[in-house]
Amino acid sequence: MKNREQRDLFPGALEMMILRTLKRQPLHGYALAQHIKRTSNDLLQIEEGSLYPALQRLLKEELVKAEWGISSTNRRVRIYKLNAAGAKHLEHEVSRFERMLEGITRVLAPGGS
Amino acid sequence: MNWIKQLFSRRRLYGDLSDEIQGHLDEKIEELVAAGMSKAEAAGAARREFGNVTLVEEDSREVWRWPSIEDFLMDVHYGLRTLRKNPGFTAAAVIALALGIGANTAIFSVVNGVLLRPLPYRDPSRLVVVSLFNQKTQETFPLCDADFLDWRAQNQVFSDIAAFGGNGFNITGSGSPEQVRGGVVTAEFFSTLGVMPVLGRTFLPGEDRPGSPPMAVLSYNLWQNRYGSGPGVIGQGLVLNGLSTTIIGVMPPRFLPSPETQLWTNLVIKPPTFRGPYYLTGEARLKPGATIEQARSELAAIAHRIEQQNPVTNSNMSFRLTPLEEAIVGDVRPALLVLLGAVAFVLLIASANVANLLLARASVREREMAIRAALGASRARLMGQLLTESILLAAIGGLLGLLFARWGVKLLLELGPSNLPRLEEIAINGRVLAFTFLISLASGILFGLVPAFQSRRSDLNRSLKEGGRSAAEGQGRSRVRSALVVAEIALSLVLLVGGGLMLKSFLRLQAVSPGVNPNNALTMQITLPQRQYHDDSQVISFYQHLLEKVQILPGVESAGVGISLPPNLLEVTDYFTVEGQAAVSERMLGLADLVFASPDYFRALGVPLVKGRYFTVADRADSAKVAIVNLTLAHHYWPNENPIGKRLRTGGPERPNNPWLEVVGVVGDIKYSGLDAAPEMVLYEPYPQAAWSSMYLVVRTSSKLDKPAMLGSAVQNAVWSLDKDVPVAHIRTMEELLSESVEQPRFRTVLLEIFALIALCLATVGIYAVLAYSVSQRRHEIGIRMALGAKRSDVLWLVVGQGMLLTLIGVALGVTGAFMLTRFLSTLLYGVRPTDPATFVVVPGLLACVALVACYIPARRATRVDPMVALHHE
Repeated sequence: MKNREQRDLFPGALEMMILRTLKRQPLHGYALAQHIKRTSNDLLQIEEGSLYPALQRLLKEELVKAEWGISSTNRRVRIYKLNAAGAKHLEHEVSRFERMLEGITRVLAPGGS
Repeated sequence: MNWIKQLFSRRRLYGDLSDEIQGHLDEKIEELVAAGMSKAEAAGAARREFGNVTLVEEDSREVWRWPSIEDFLMDVHYGLRTLRKNPGFTAAAVIALALGIGANTAIFSVVNGVLLRPLPYRDPSRLVVVSLFNQKTQETFPLCDADFLDWRAQNQVFSDIAAFGGNGFNITGSGSPEQVRGGVVTAEFFSTLGVMPVLGRTFLPGEDRPGSPPMAVLSYNLWQNRYGSGPGVIGQGLVLNGLSTTIIGVMPPRFLPSPETQLWTNLVIKPPTFRGPYYLTGEARLKPGATIEQARSELAAIAHRIEQQNPVTNSNMSFRLTPLEEAIVGDVRPALLVLLGAVAFVLLIASANVANLLLARASVREREMAIRAALGASRARLMGQLLTESILLAAIGGLLGLLFARWGVKLLLELGPSNLPRLEEIAINGRVLAFTFLISLASGILFGLVPAFQSRRSDLNRSLKEGGRSAAEGQGRSRVRSALVVAEIALSLVLLVGGGLMLKSFLRLQAVSPGVNPNNALTMQITLPQRQYHDDSQVISFYQHLLEKVQILPGVESAGVGISLPPNLLEVTDYFTVEGQAAVSERMLGLADLVFASPDYFRALGVPLVKGRYFTVADRADSAKVAIVNLTLAHHYWPNENPIGKRLRTGGPERPNNPWLEVVGVVGDIKYSGLDAAPEMVLYEPYPQAAWSSMYLVVRTSSKLDKPAMLGSAVQNAVWSLDKDVPVAHIRTMEELLSESVEQPRFRTVLLEIFALIALCLATVGIYAVLAYSVSQRRHEIGIRMALGAKRSDVLWLVVGQGMLLTLIGVALGVTGAFMLTRFLSTLLYGVRPTDPATFVVVPGLLACVALVACYIPARRATRVDPMVALHHE
């Protein structure tokens, strides 16, 4: 109930996508939301707001850093940056996710015993 | 310390978050406007895309918190504010709870001190007491020396064995003469209990054999009061019953459950030549691993061997083994458990009452809850908050209850019967506090759950639309409220029936005639030191002179002495044989209270003479042996004959040399074994023919006895003018003796009445509150009914009928419950059956009447509803 995205995705999915996006380049919240929406072709029904609790969790676990700065559109924004721990966490999560996905795919594959 | 840093930087964090989210929305709006939307459209779209801003902020903040604790603290804060804003509601709830919790705490502290706390001995659960039991007559009585020695010689299952008997002691020699209760004990008495003295030593093994010097161990009390807690007391001498005795030790305070026992002397057992007298209680500790059952079967085997060797005295005799704890507190356990049950009922009723108040308030707060739900509060969160509020109420009630309990315990200790065992161990201690905490928490959850679950069911949309002005209250909620009232009435009826039975029983007990005239009679106990008065003629002459001196005191009408006093100061019983009726069988032996009395004993007590004569001064030691019997004895043995001139003698076939006594008079019955005892046979002998050193003196005054203390000291001076070393004890008026004898029944009756009345008040308030609330909710409906032509009396009956229906259901349930539960009272009742029909009719009737009054007040208010006002209000 508290983490509304959990209803649509599995726990940690949003964090994983955020980390992956931040790995490419540091971004502020709005840009991060737009990027995830765009790259997922709007397939994932994510409320933009749900990004913020996820970002707070990552901040608390010290996987990302945040600093106030000026965006390309000349706004005062908080820019999130991946740090070393975050990169490592991402790697770990992605491999875990791939294993899980593979398992699910095998079970779902037609003709599988 | 990362979390401390977080705690302090949180304000900034939260500020950043709000800024950031606002920035996000602004950027979106700007972009949408750039794409051609109007500003207003863009703002709406941005919010839709973003989701619930407040919730996002809350969820984001929550990441930084310890959610459960902080939610709880916030709920507490909010709850306190709500309670402060509704002082009437808060006061009503808190007082109801404080009454319930306070009563529970007070009674529990008694139960804890008397029943739950282990006895102050080493490993007390392995201690037992042993007495004799006649399997044929089902009588229990003490052991004799021979029983104890046989048992000790053949024992296998006990690691320690001792015996003790009670005794009165005259302390003389230093300071004023004093009479105290004490024990005569065998050498292992203290080591069996496993208690060390605080000073000196206790008896050593073998110090109960013939030739051992007289020694005494003092109680802490006696040491404090008579010796000023001086450490030099060890080795000092004192004179006990005329015997110089050396003090060897002092026991710790609270050593024995009875504060009356002031000292212990070593019992010297000589090899017995016959079986008797019976005066000892066995005390033993089970060997490790041995069970009570093993001990019982071993004792049965020993008793069987004794019986085979002594067929005359010991036929049908067995040993009776009782755990020590049972022996000490077994008698009061039922009463205390009944009281504990009663206060539990009171707390349940109080909880139901508070639940009802909360439900009434919940419908007022429905809109508040709906708004909070709409703002994103989860249902679990709302329930949590309601529960926090009710637990908060319970906590405040508990604190106030603790104050009530402190006051209540003080009152209990003052009013409580002085013969309640372990009275001095009753206190509010850690365990009692833990109990209070637990019941407060439990009751908070209990009455908090009902409205919390109700809130879960409420329909958010409906609540918001109706805006807390709902015309018809939710069906479910009003059903719950009605059920609660029914439960309250049923529970209080059970208590009231219990209270009614106890009251009736107590009144019956008090109405029992003690057989004497209790007005204007003063009594006291006089015990002559056996050393100085070892000869019967000395004893007889002392009492003769004393009576002569007392009879001429101003205001004294008559004065007499006797060894026992009604209603419960019985000293001696013995078997007796009636001439001509003895041979039938050994079981024809009757057991009678034996009272040795002076001529004016009967006049001073006011016992009526039925036939023949009282004793006279002519009944001397050397004159013909005579006796007076009471009506019960006379009716039993000579139902159709004149008892005067018949002969009987004390003892059975093993005492064939006892002289025959000629019956010279028949007197009215007196209760010597308590007012609640069955009719007993009494045999009186003139005191010069059966000298006894300890006597009760009874003095009847001619005018009203208004200064008993003055007469008491006058009599005391008369005693001391004869012998300054003879103590006078237990100075009481006859009325006081009667009143003291029913202390325990009075105590439990008064308490149960108080609890039943509290229950009645709470239940009455409960039904009144439900109806008053229902009337205020139904104003609209009542207005319509009246507009359509309903008469005032119709409206009156509508409301009263609703209340009385609930009352009747509650009464029906309560009568059923009482019928099942009052059997637990049966051991506490005298002359009343637990299902006494009168009580079961009168008490529910009374409750119904009280409920009717409680229903009538809101009903009257309903009839005053002005249809125009009620309808306009909509």
